[in-house]
Order: sequence, then structure tokens, then C-alpha cells
Amino acid sequence: MAEIRIKNLHKEFGVGEDKVVALEDVNLDITGHSFVSIVGPSGCGKSTLLNILTGIETPTSGTVEITSDGHVAAPGYVFQAARLLPWRTVTDNLLFVQDDRSDATRERCRRYLEMVQLGDKGDKFPGELSGGMQQRVGIARAFSIEPDVLFMDEPFSHLDAITARALRRELHHMWDETKKMVVFVTHDVGEAVELSNRILVFAKGGRLEDDIQIDLPFPRDPADDEVAVAKAHVLRKFEELDLLAS
Amino acid sequence: MTTTDTHTAVDGAAPAQRVTEEDLARQARRKELTSRWFWRILSYVAVLTVWEFALLDIFSFLRGSPLDPKLLPGPSEVVATFFEIWGEGTMPAAFQATLTRIAVGFGLSFLIGAMIGILMQSKWFEGFFKDAVLISLSAPGLIWVLITAIIFGNRPLGPTIAIILTTFALVTVNVSEGIRALPKELLDMAKSFRVSVLKRNRQIVIPHLAPYLFTGLRFGFSIAWKVTVLTEVFSSSEGIGFEMRISAVLFDMSEFLTWILAFFFFALFLEKVVLEAIERRYFRWRQAVTAT
Repeated sequence: MAEIRIKNLHKEFGVGEDKVVALEDVNLDITGHSFVSIVGPSGCGKSTLLNILTGIETPTSGTVEITSDGHVAAPGYVFQAARLLPWRTVTDNLLFVQDDRSDATRERCRRYLEMVQLGDKGDKFPGELSGGMQQRVGIARAFSIEPDVLFMDEPFSHLDAITARALRRELHHMWDETKKMVVFVTHDVGEAVELSNRILVFAKGGRLEDDIQIDLPFPRDPADDEVAVAKAHVLRKFEELDLLAS
Repeated sequence: MTTTDTHTAVDGAAPAQRVTEEDLARQARRKELTSRWFWRILSYVAVLTVWEFALLDIFSFLRGSPLDPKLLPGPSEVVATFFEIWGEGTMPAAFQATLTRIAVGFGLSFLIGAMIGILMQSKWFEGFFKDAVLISLSAPGLIWVLITAIIFGNRPLGPTIAIILTTFALVTVNVSEGIRALPKELLDMAKSFRVSVLKRNRQIVIPHLAPYLFTGLRFGFSIAWKVTVLTEVFSSSEGIGFEMRISAVLFDMSEFLTWILAFFFFALFLEKVVLEAIERRYFRWRQAVTAT
């Protein structure tokens, strides 16, 4: 079972007058089969937190541990843009991030491509696919290495509303089926409420302002009363933070 | 779409002999292609006709005195000489000599140019090489051909150095541009998926650089080709350029033009067959992108 432990995490950029605090004393535990969304206004440090979790940036102070059953956890990533190699076919893009090219690996890649409804597009080049399909390949790639934790950075923000909605549903199924931990950064509160069982609200200055559990059953329809109430609650939190900031 | 169109679609009836917009577009494209080829071929026909039947008279008139027909053979005679020389078997040997020079010279030039392109990523080396690259790009190849001919005579090193000096910069410029445009977001992606450095280089860096290298190869080769023939004209005892010089010295215009013709055909063959085949084979993904 995957586990993320963040203790007294602090991150600053620049020195002297230019110093900016991106994250301030963040303490956080995430365990097991959770879908955790990190939301907040721009400049609240949510991207910085993800960069630290994925190892792209190092914390100024504090510790981050990502483990799975005592081992260092294997992470998978989905980025804002699909980030596929344009000169490789869809299948080769999945194989690119694998450790080997054995039959079992190929079979696994094929299975995840099917899971994102692209079973017949393996021989296509990314340039031949629509934006939504490319992002699906990105998701299949992240799942195909069977990671312990999946990090996603606003993966649907570039897509049109209908495509994004379809992909959210697929993502939920995959999360449910594979029992992975997902850490999902978004600025879309509705999206967070639809997908997550836990929402972390960050405020400007990088403080973890609220930690909201959402125990509604899946699938969640945005038109559903309870879902709408949960969304309103998070949005209200946002407004309060905005008032505090101004 | 008009209402009738919609009905046809809804009823599921076959769109009987109806000309769609796509058909019209395809027809227009075909027509345009045909007329373009027509004009292209017409230009050849026109030039060859004038050359065969009227050029001698025109030149004689312009000179004010009749021109010896031997000094300006018509295309039919050139073609006849072409087959004659072909039959003698000197042509493959001359081509082989020239192509070997190009292969050695341009091969070295490509390596040196690429190496300098890589070094130029550091700003000190950029300062060091910048003007040399600029000079190589802008100086006429003839300068290097003459200098190397004077210094090296007909030693094989002469053409090699001339080729390097005229073409390395084209490779350098393309390589360094390619490196500057490395897809950082893909490399970051690969890094976060813990893909090994070797695999990152093989599957991201090299495919990314390939089109840049190919451009350098293509332009560099076209210049190497001209420079090589020039060096042979000045200082060599074999190769296409040498054959041209001999025929010019002997006032054998028919043979001279034959060599030019052979040169022209070979260049066309390389460009249209070899290079385009490489392009189709290795840059399929780009065509796939443009096709959609």
C-alpha cells in the first residue's frame, strides 16, 4: 500500500527582497487507495508541491517520504500536455517508459490502451490523434508502468468540456479498478469534487488551508444535490480565502 | 449543405452521382497539377528546340560573324556523345573518383561541423567559432578551391580541405540550432519516468536532431558536390571536373556538354530518388502529421 508522508515542508524561492514563500509548513499524510485533489488559486504552491513530490524540485526544509510497503514507491505521471514522442507510434510511446519489451510488457501496454479506448490506435503516430486521444495515451502510459502512486498535473485543462468529462469518467474507472493512489492537481473545483475522496485546499502563500473528506458514492453527477453542496462548500472556502487575501 | 442534401443523408439513400465539394477540390487539384507539369515540360521542350534549331544562328548574329557549329553542338548531338562516352566506360570511373572525394571530404566535414555545433553550446566556444562559421557560410567556394589548388596541387588532400571549409558551417549551424531546440518537456517526462540516459538520447535526442542533421546533409552535400567538381577542374587528374577541363581544353564542346548533362542527371537522381527516399523512410511521422 502506497503512503505519502510530508513533514514540516517549507519551500522558498529567491533570496532577500525577492524571496517568495511557495509552501509554508505543510504537514500531510496520504495513504492507500485515495484520490486526492490539490486545489487552490494560482500561486498557492500546488504546482510546487507536485514538483517536490515528483522530485523535480527539492524542499528548502522538511521531509517528503513516498513509500509502498516499506519500499520507495514507483511513481507515474500525467502532465498538462500529453508529452508524447511525435516520432514514435502510440504503442512505442508506451513501451518507451517500460523497463523491457517482453511479451508480457507488450500485453500490459495493449491492455491499458484498451482501457482508454485506444486499442485500435497503437500503430498511429501522436500527430494523427486528437488532443483528447493524445491525453488518453498519456494516461495509459502512466498506468502502464503500474505505479504505486499517480501524479497528475491538470491533465484535462487543455481539453474541451465534453472530452474532459469523458476522460474524467475513464480515469475514475481506472482508479477504481487498479486501486492506485492518485494525487491530482487542478484549479477546477467541480472536477475535484467529481473525482476525489479528499480535497486539499491551498491558500496563497502556500498554506494548507483545508482538508476536506468527500464520502459521496461514485459515479458522481455534477447535477446531483449532494455533489452540488460539496462543490459549493469548497467554493465558499475559496471565497473566504480570497477575502482574507484582499 | 442544402436541405436536399440533409434529406439524402437522413434517408440513407446513396448520394447518386452527386458531386461533393471534396470531389470538386480533388478535380481542381488534379487540374492544377496537370497544368503545372505541362508548363514545366514545355520549358524543356522550348529550350531544347531553340538550342537545336536556332541558337547557332542567334549567336552568330550576335557575334556579327558565323559561329563554328562544332563550338555549339545541338542537344541531339550531345545525347549521341553521351551514349558514346557511356559505351567507352569512362563515365563510371569519373563518377567514382568524384564521389569518393565527396564522400571522404563531406564525411569529415559533417563530423567536424557537428562537433563544432555541439561545442558551440558553450558561450566561450560560441565566441571562438562564431565568425569562422559566418565566413565559411558567406565566402564563395571558389576561394577555397583556388587556395587549396595552389597549396596542394593535385594531392587528394586539396579537395578534401576545400570541401570541409565550404560545408562544415552548414552542418554546424543546423546542429546547434537543433540542440538549442531540444524538447525539454519530453526529456523531463522521460526523466520522471526514470528512463535511462542512453534510451533518452536514442529515442528523444537523436530523433529530434535527425531533421536538422538531414537539412545540413542535404545543403552541405549540394555544395560539396559543386566544390568537388570545381577542384577537379583546377587541380586533378581524374573525376568529372577533370573530364570537363580536358574537353574544354580540346574545344570539344559536345563532350563538355555531355559531362554537364551527366552531372545534371546524377544530381537530379540524388535529390529526387535517394534523398527523398531517405526522407520518406525516416520522417514518416511528419508526413502523418501533415496528412491530417
